[in-house]
Amino acid sequence: MQIFPLHPFTPPGDVPALRQQVRDLITAHEPRWTIEQRADTWFGNDAEFSRALGTAGLLGMTWPKQYGGHERSMLERYIVLEELLAGGAPAGLHWIADRQTGPLLLRYGTEEQREKYLPGMARGETYACIGLSEPNSGSDLASVRTFARKTLEGWRVNGQKVWTSGAHHCHAALTLLRTEEGSERQQGLSQLMIDLDTPGVTVRPIIDMAGRHHFNEIFFDDALVPLGALVGTEGQGWKQVTAELALERSGPERYLSSHLLLIALIDAVGPEPAPDVAQLIGRLTAEMWTLRQMSLSTAAKLAAGEDPVVEAAIVKDLGNAYEQALPRLVQAAVEVDLAGPSDLSRLLAWFLLTSPSFSLRGGTPEVLRGIIAKGLGLR
Amino acid sequence: MSENRTLLVEMAEGLFADLSGAEFASAWPRVAEAGFASLLVPADAGGFGGDWGDVLAVLRLAGLNALAAPLAEPILAHHLLAQAGIAAPEGLLTIAAPGQRVPFARHADGIVRAGDGAVALYLPGSYSVTQGTSPAGEPWDAVDFTGEPVASVASDIDLLALGAFARVAQASGALEAAFTLSIDHVNTRVQFGRALAKFQAVQQALAEFSEEAAAVDASAAACAAALDHGDAGFEIAAAKLRTGIAIDRSVPIAHRVHGAIGFTIEYALNHHTRRLMGWRSEFGSDSFWAERLGRAVAKLGGKGLWHEVAARTDRQVAASG
Ligand SMILES: Cc1cc2nc3c(=O)[nH]c(=O)nc-3n(C[C@H](O)[C@H](O)[C@H](O)COP(=O)(O)OP(=O)(O)OC[C@H]3O[C@@H](n4cnc5c(N)ncnc54)[C@H](O)[C@@H]3O)c2cc1C
Repeated sequence: MQIFPLHPFTPPGDVPALRQQVRDLITAHEPRWTIEQRADTWFGNDAEFSRALGTAGLLGMTWPKQYGGHERSMLERYIVLEELLAGGAPAGLHWIADRQTGPLLLRYGTEEQREKYLPGMARGETYACIGLSEPNSGSDLASVRTFARKTLEGWRVNGQKVWTSGAHHCHAALTLLRTEEGSERQQGLSQLMIDLDTPGVTVRPIIDMAGRHHFNEIFFDDALVPLGALVGTEGQGWKQVTAELALERSGPERYLSSHLLLIALIDAVGPEPAPDVAQLIGRLTAEMWTLRQMSLSTAAKLAAGEDPVVEAAIVKDLGNAYEQALPRLVQAAVEVDLAGPSDLSRLLAWFLLTSPSFSLRGGTPEVLRGIIAKGLGLR
Repeated sequence: MSENRTLLVEMAEGLFADLSGAEFASAWPRVAEAGFASLLVPADAGGFGGDWGDVLAVLRLAGLNALAAPLAEPILAHHLLAQAGIAAPEGLLTIAAPGQRVPFARHADGIVRAGDGAVALYLPGSYSVTQGTSPAGEPWDAVDFTGEPVASVASDIDLLALGAFARVAQASGALEAAFTLSIDHVNTRVQFGRALAKFQAVQQALAEFSEEAAAVDASAAACAAALDHGDAGFEIAAAKLRTGIAIDRSVPIAHRVHGAIGFTIEYALNHHTRRLMGWRSEFGSDSFWAERLGRAVAKLGGKGLWHEVAARTDRQVAASG
């Protein structure tokens, strides 16, 4: 059994021109960005840039035109993503909506939901967040307890979500909760698209160890959510969320998060580096290049309608390990003043603090390896 | 992809499985007879007319079956001669890349040497062989070229890189074989009243192993695609280095989950792990390729690295579209 047969990545259209379009947009906006904002890429914020991407037709690229989309291929979208990441563009505000919430609404949502959310998402103006984790439900997601009771007026929601990225900027949260009283584990779960300005919904900041306000907790105190907020089928939340996680785990953001530091290292040491630094650059390049081949192949499989669950878990686990090791390897190999003003100093200081999260968000190594082991028939 | 790939793979699968465990003396005549050596020689020159994807497929199967006969060496030797327009003599041809041992030299009927701007064919009598042995017990000879070649043609072909690609391809097969043995072993070996496969620590280790094998498979396939496109210096450097890293990470896992049985000469695991250990050093070590690649990247500059990586796959897309 060949573990990873390479699936050819053959996007339609003029690929270099598409890359250039993204690079030009970045060049036009980069004077406004701090180096830390750029380092955050898909966690970084710039509303004007998100809107500019929308105007350029680079959001909702694969969605039907009737919802503001552009009916382009998933592989063209992939090219835009990798260019944004490699170019260090703060594209975090719309990232989740474009990556998973929009596609989930297209697949499972009602007509009303699509019309309400998708055009704004494609313009880069409507943002969404992921309401999965709870204080007592992390890796063990099937243990969620937030509860929505169906009444004549709507869903009455009580409970708490946590670690919700970007909720303080977002308009709505696609939330996994229990809709069947007394149900256990994967049974009785549903997804609601909850507008965050709903009375009874409170978003509170959690400051991360890098000092950022990035994630949040969301409290639901008897919040009344319209019946029309149900996404897909009542009780089918687990199945839907599995599909959402597949979209969440398979992209190029799972290995390129610290690419800016590699750029800074190369530029700092110049065209004739010492042998040991040249070797480090070579090693990082080899890992990055290999991950890209694997990621392209996985994207091509997804685009071909296959369901590469194991491949996606492999790319995310290897990719997270690489992007997380990069700052440590740079720190070990070169003298860097962590309080210094250079790009290399600032980026290294930043990535040392932010990289521990790379292998947590979207599922930990143990969880991903569990998925792989299952695919291998070991469990 | 070559039209004959399916046929070729079927033939190689059958033959190499048959030869699994056979020594050089019995294996080589059958491999020679099957004609694999002319895989890359154009059809109008009497060869198979295959592409690098075919080479990958066949070498991967050789690695998978721990084939004791030379295969990469004669394929590359015939390729070099065909490219240089030098007629190939009968028998086993092997290759001499700069600074490398010459696999199977003691058995060879000729050595194709490439480097210093030339490809040259040496026949027995024009060189002396000092025998050496690889970690897998295979002939890894040192060759002293004492006489003149029968033919020499100017060429800047990078045989070190082609040899490195061959070892990446073989390693992808050997890693799969070691991985399959490991899976089979943990599914059947019982300790503490359970199959080893039921322990999470073991599952996680094998998941890591699969990731490494996957990385080598992907990098090997990407190299073959780049070679078929023309220049693959960047890809081969990255792939050989990534393969070294994968060997570093996964061979210890294979041995760990096997326990003592995997450390015996009878059990098949060592046929694969010993070869992998040797290939890691052959045709450029990790640090050799890391430095070569790192220097090339340093010249590209920080942004240039990404531009190069993207452009290299884009031109393949353009060629296929
Ligand atoms: C920056 C950041 C952003 C995030 N954004 C979001 C978001 O937007 N929305 C959202 O819903 N969530 C978000 N998360 C939460 C993330 O999904 C969880 O952190 C993750 O699923 C792990 O859950 P946990 O933190 O509760 O850790 P735990 O599940 O408690 O795990 C702690 C450790 O125990 C290990 N472990 C757990 N179970 C097992 C097991 N069965 N076997 C072996 N080891 C095990 C884990 O691998 C881990 O190493 C975010 C997290 C971070 C760090």
